[in-house]
Amino acid sequence: MLFNSLTFVVFFVVVVTLYWGISNWTARKNLLVVASYIFYGAWNPPFAALLFGTTAMDFWLGRQMGRVQDRQSRRHWLVASVCMNLSMLGFFKYGNFLLQNFQWALARVGIVYQPPHLDILLPVGISFYTFHSLSYTLDIYRGVLQPTRSLRDFVLAVSFFPQLVAGPIVRAGDFLPQLVHPPRLKTNQFLWGLALMTLGLFEKIVLADTLLSGSADRVFGYPGPLVALDSWAGVLAFAGQIFCDFAGYSLTAIGAALTLGFHLKDNFRFPYAAIGFSDFWRRWHISLSTFLRDYLYIPLGGNQVAPLRAAANLVIVMFLGGLWHGAAWTFVVWGLLHGSYLVIERVVRVFFEQKPWAGRLPVRLLAGFATYVAVCIAWVFFRASDFTIASRMLTGMFGGHPNGDAILATRELLQIGIVTAGLISVHWAMRDDAFETTVMKLPAWAVTTIWSVMAVGIIFTQGSSNAFIYFQF
Amino acid sequence: MPSFISNFKQRLRLPRMFFRRPTRAEQIHGGPPLEFERPIPPLQWRGITVVVVLIALAATVGWELYARALGYGPTLDGNDDLWAMARRKVEPESIVVIGDSRAFYDVDLDEIEKGLGKRPIQLASGGMCGFPVLEDLANDQSFHGTIICSVVPRLLFAPPGTPPFERGEKAVKRFHSQTPAQRMSEYLAIFLQEHIAFLKPDDLSLEALLSQLPIPNRPGALVPPRLPPYFQTIDRERRARMWEKCADPNGALARKIQQIWIPLFTLPPPPTYIPKEMFFAGMNQAIEQRFHDIVAAVERIRSRGGKIVFVRFPRTGELQKIEDRDTPREKTWDPLLKMTGAPGIYYSDFPELSGFDCPEWSHLSAGDSVEFTRRLVPRLRAALQL
Repeated sequence: MLFNSLTFVVFFVVVVTLYWGISNWTARKNLLVVASYIFYGAWNPPFAALLFGTTAMDFWLGRQMGRVQDRQSRRHWLVASVCMNLSMLGFFKYGNFLLQNFQWALARVGIVYQPPHLDILLPVGISFYTFHSLSYTLDIYRGVLQPTRSLRDFVLAVSFFPQLVAGPIVRAGDFLPQLVHPPRLKTNQFLWGLALMTLGLFEKIVLADTLLSGSADRVFGYPGPLVALDSWAGVLAFAGQIFCDFAGYSLTAIGAALTLGFHLKDNFRFPYAAIGFSDFWRRWHISLSTFLRDYLYIPLGGNQVAPLRAAANLVIVMFLGGLWHGAAWTFVVWGLLHGSYLVIERVVRVFFEQKPWAGRLPVRLLAGFATYVAVCIAWVFFRASDFTIASRMLTGMFGGHPNGDAILATRELLQIGIVTAGLISVHWAMRDDAFETTVMKLPAWAVTTIWSVMAVGIIFTQGSSNAFIYFQF
Repeated sequence: MPSFISNFKQRLRLPRMFFRRPTRAEQIHGGPPLEFERPIPPLQWRGITVVVVLIALAATVGWELYARALGYGPTLDGNDDLWAMARRKVEPESIVVIGDSRAFYDVDLDEIEKGLGKRPIQLASGGMCGFPVLEDLANDQSFHGTIICSVVPRLLFAPPGTPPFERGEKAVKRFHSQTPAQRMSEYLAIFLQEHIAFLKPDDLSLEALLSQLPIPNRPGALVPPRLPPYFQTIDRERRARMWEKCADPNGALARKIQQIWIPLFTLPPPPTYIPKEMFFAGMNQAIEQRFHDIVAAVERIRSRGGKIVFVRFPRTGELQKIEDRDTPREKTWDPLLKMTGAPGIYYSDFPELSGFDCPEWSHLSAGDSVEFTRRLVPRLRAALQL
């Protein structure tokens, strides 16, 4: 079920009431497992069985790995876990994509092959829960986590409903310890959780769905060339939409977990105020970037290898990060672009980082602006459904269609401009602080006003429960 | 002194944070208590929450009172979930009404039930091309009932990718892919919509309010024409009735909607990015294809013993002139009946069905819709040989 749906409102009220009403910790955990599976099964009940199957398999593999000491045997169990998880992901998410590319490759050597179209329904959130589950066996292999004895606890760690379908990617090692002792109901924590949920839903319902998504959809769906203003407006609208959509989901998840006494880490930290691309990836989808860092980049050798090899490692990581988002070459190009940005940034730093003017405010602002523009250019490949659209958009953005069409209403342009300016200003104002620190500095009346405006905004918007963008991944 | 190369190598290290090893805090695992805890801003959250709830409640009640003062009342939103709910009720021998808003407003379910012996299921919708629904019913192997299909040529022959076609496609897709959670949300939404007047996405949502701002567009901007505001009530069976406020042809609302129909029903200029000849050739091909697809769908339904009747509902004023000019009967209605071999009822062919006045040129008032359906039923019986 969607966070921004009436079903979730009822579900959440019932779960929270029962959860804090029950005193027995085991019973509370059982309740959360049942609630999480209802939450997931409300999309497509049979896929709940798939979720349980992969979870139980990783639990068993983790135990087997914990029983053996020698590295070789542990590696075998790890390989089994990785293969199981990735083949599941590969079949459901990349099956048709692989077949299409196989067909294309055969056609290049003159072999005509018509693959069957696999009518595969993608289990919602499979990329997320696969990573939740995989982190468990990977951490046991790395020796930083002991296998848990409780299948129920592990099932809850993987399926905990706030983070189940669209992140943040919560590692078993971060969550399992929270299941050892029952949390106490703390009023301030509970209410702060509700405030975070309100902010998350406001970002999704009001900013992403109401003020931005319509324009982004129209621009990227328009079959003809567009003038530069409309092309840029569409890309800026999407840049704002995907942030508000995904960060909104993460914030709602963090808030919902907090109301139940669980602590999830930040997934976003004002990414549109990033100065440079490494800074961007420290701020955008942090749970994915740290996952790739720890389980992919470091095992590849990280930066402890020759510079060229390190750069190649980086590009490989971002290539796979792009592919993780979707089974399409446009996502791969998006990832490769970011990989290239990171490599270029390091080279540029060699020459300029030590310059006395490098840390001055105008230079930092300029670097921040350049980062934002480059990130927006990469978003074109993320949003466009094929390269024809991406190419047409980029041509339009750089003035290649001076006689193209203008399709956005002035009101839509204003909406995009105001939201984008507001978003970037807020990110810059808060870039060096934690969100909580900023709130702490505000007077109570300001917090009350902001929270009220967001709550009233959500009610007045009458949203239509559009799915979160990241559900498709 | 380090060489340039070694200096370069040293400084080419990839971004520190992104590549650093996990800290101890990040390696916490089962056993020791968690060290990570989200900070809670030390404010008076209890008091803040109470004030926020009071403000939100006051704003909601105030908005509701304002909406009622404007004449709005509680009614359902005719969204895809409500459509899917109706579609689920279709049984093998059902009578189903499909097509556009004219069938949506002008067909009275009670009168059809009285006259044909079965309560029909309303699947027509505002601005919808009926073809995706027709095709869906044709593909439903169990269906061999009766279809009453409204014909507004601009909508029925709308090519794939256009808003009317997508409206039909989306509704069908929703029916086939609706999740248990979406069904549950719809039941809850119905409860709220039956009690709260301001739940009017067409008029009173934030998006609708913003779109009403009088901001002029750039000259030459290809901005889609505005859609009409809310002017109907809808019940659980998807029976739409024209809002009384709109039933006066000289009233402000009716006149406003009349002016909205003109750009909506006027053929837009061909797109700039395709040569005109190619565009018109493509359009003609798409229309030709639609004729064939409708024939194929009708044949499939008939082969299972099902029936279909096409109906042209009344329209008046400037809108009638535009429709007759752009989509003349001899190029749309006549070939449709000829190619499908299906019966059709064109309102102006029958004196008892003519002479109705559409207050906003396109639909009948709630009262007239009952009378019109009463008079339509004998014609339907004859056409369907009942």
